[in-house]
Amino acid sequence: MDFSIIIESLPPLLKATVITVLLAVVSVVFALILGFFTALARISKIKLLKAVSSVYISIFRGTPLLVQIFVIYYGLPQIDIELNPIPSGVLALSLNAGAYLSESFRAAILAVDKGQMEAAVSMGMTYGQAMRRVILPQSIRIAIPTLSNTYIILIKDTSLVSVITVTELLQMSTLIIAKTFEPLTIYLVAAALYWVVITFFTVVLDRLEKRTSRHVV
Amino acid sequence: MGIIQLQNIKKSFDENVVLKDINLSVGKSEVVVIMGPSGSGKSTLLRCITFLEEPDKGVIRLGENEVTAGNQPNKQRKATIRELRQNTGFVFQQFNLFPHRTALENVMEGPIVIKKMDRDQAKKKAIALLTKVGLADRMDHYPAQLSGGQQQRVAIARALSMEPMVMLYDEPTSALDPELVREVLLVMKDLAKEGMTMVVVTHEMGFAKDVADRVIFMDDGVIVEEGSSQEIFNNPKEERTKQFLQDVGEE
Ligand SMILES: Nc1ncnc2c1ncn2[C@@H]1O[C@H](COP(=O)(O)OP(=O)(O)OP(=O)(O)O)[C@@H](O)[C@H]1O
Ligand SMILES: [Mg+2]
Repeated sequence: MDFSIIIESLPPLLKATVITVLLAVVSVVFALILGFFTALARISKIKLLKAVSSVYISIFRGTPLLVQIFVIYYGLPQIDIELNPIPSGVLALSLNAGAYLSESFRAAILAVDKGQMEAAVSMGMTYGQAMRRVILPQSIRIAIPTLSNTYIILIKDTSLVSVITVTELLQMSTLIIAKTFEPLTIYLVAAALYWVVITFFTVVLDRLEKRTSRHVV
Repeated sequence: MGIIQLQNIKKSFDENVVLKDINLSVGKSEVVVIMGPSGSGKSTLLRCITFLEEPDKGVIRLGENEVTAGNQPNKQRKATIRELRQNTGFVFQQFNLFPHRTALENVMEGPIVIKKMDRDQAKKKAIALLTKVGLADRMDHYPAQLSGGQQQRVAIARALSMEPMVMLYDEPTSALDPELVREVLLVMKDLAKEGMTMVVVTHEMGFAKDVADRVIFMDDGVIVEEGSSQEIFNNPKEERTKQFLQDVGEE
């Protein structure tokens, strides 16, 4: 192994790591919002909302993410929707993770004892007040482990948007290898950088989980 | 006219007819104890009063608020039901305290969220209520850090925080270890003395004898017999009541 190659390629790889993290963070924020409202739609009594959310979840969980990325980036221009690589990537990642997160949220909402909703509405709360004040704070705690899991998978999945020329960590590695012909070294450095990012978030999310569950035996 | 008035309440779950035309009137400051075998519809009746279950038929009036069962849900009706619920404190067998909030926060929640009371005032009030149920020294504990008896007393304080006209209890001591039953019954007794209107589903004979103005015996979705605790316990008229009292006595 040639260490000078590592030193030389480190700055662009670190820059690309920042892109990877940004892709993951921005996508997870959209996915959380999307997943949250999709979950509410799925448990609502309104049939149309239920149907639309179920179809969305089924499509995005039932097809490969890579196919979703291709449809958005290469497919949509055919009906005059042209998105740049990064927005395409963020859109695909958000829609995909949103479908998974909505199922976590839904399961977590349903996991809250039904006596909680009864206690809240029996005092005179509206459905919305009971959700906001009583049910959701408890479901978020329940959902954190699966949310963390989905987020970690999302970080790994950002590597798939390399195929639509987003220069995130994997794509940058490939570009560097094209010049240096050192695939083993460069890919191992890339793997190490993914590991650092994922381990960092794992630790942070574990702490968050411990903090939110401290009152519950 | 009673403070609670139930007229012709009917309720089925699918094929299972659980309440068959129940009529009941509870007067101000009256304490009514409901007894009856498992599955006779006691919980369902209590839950129908606050629309935790929607009755199939009948009219429910609580104070000023009257709701007819089975009507199409609209905004006006929902608001009436919410108002009716605000006037009713419901105490559950399993307490159902909010586990993510301290005892104090549990008791502040209703006034702040529903009555839009300011925090300081709600806190003062919650402290007074928790003191009243003997938990002044447990206010900052989370439910998981309290015994069953303490949790149920917090639940009673939480129900009282909405200043209800009536209190409904569904087997409030059934989930408790025997040595914790007394402390909860004492709190309920004090409330009765203060003139609170109460409907209590319980099998605590002692409590019924001491506190109840009227005991109702339910079986199979109907009120079989009602009267003073004296009449029901010492001199039951109906065969089913006698049988039930015998079964309970043998336990
Ligand atoms: N949500 C429900 N769905 C279907 N059936 C129900 C439901 N709630 C109650 N039932 C049925 O209604 C009947 C009466 O139940 P209820 O809980 O009112 O009885 P109970 O007198 O309170 O009995 P227990 O002393 O065991 O608490 C039972 O046959 C029960 O299985
Ligand atoms: Mg019951």
